Amino acid sequence: MAITINGSGTIGGVSVGGLPDGIVDTDMLASAAVEQAKIASGVVGTGPAFHAYNNSGDVSISVNSFSKVTLNAESYDTNNCFDTSNYRFTPNVAGYYQFTSRVSVGGSSMSRALATLAKNGTMFIYGNDIPTNVYGTVCDGLIYLNGTTDYVELYIYITATNPQFGGGIGNTFLQGFLARAA
Amino acid sequence: MSLYNKIIAIYSELSDYDFCFGDIKLQNDSDGNGDYIAKWEHPTLPRPTEEQLA
Repeated sequence: MAITINGSGTIGGVSVGGLPDGIVDTDMLASAAVEQAKIASGVVGTGPAFHAYNNSGDVSISVNSFSKVTLNAESYDTNNCFDTSNYRFTPNVAGYYQFTSRVSVGGSSMSRALATLAKNGTMFIYGNDIPTNVYGTVCDGLIYLNGTTDYVELYIYITATNPQFGGGIGNTFLQGFLARAA
Repeated sequence: MSLYNKIIAIYSELSDYDFCFGDIKLQNDSDGNGDYIAKWEHPTLPRPTEEQLA
């Protein structure tokens, strides 16, 4: 096969499929060169994904105060972005993250319970506001995080006498994943 | 007595709604430092002083 170097930075004469594996790496591709159509079906991203939960049993909290849920255990945490010491998810990839959460709640004469997702310490997305005699509140949402300093935490607000939230892998948890890179 | 109950003792006209969705936010970051006033933007009632909450 004849190969022609034309003096303008391109090489002619390379046949289709002629490059063996390992010849082209990421550095050789122009930025944004890979299009959606070039991705094989069934391929998903490898961004952060996690599931953290409380495994301490019933935890008493203050009435009518947004209390951070102590998510002190993990089922999985692909990129080690969830910290079980401060109960905080700080991803290392910038993008839009989809979160799902639930908090089991209890207390005497309960009239309100509200799970809330906080971004950087400020309440950001409120969950369903549940009335008396319902024992779980959920909160879902899509939040942009910058991949360095932004973080998300789960808070719970309960109006009751002796309010508390319960533990358990499926009872009180926060999970999330990168839905779209920035 | 919780921070909420202390504030209600000062301002009995406040409701649960004020603390949940309104102009006041009490917060506890589960770091051992207890409840604190994270936001007080009530249009007429001034933020309670430390002396009032003591």
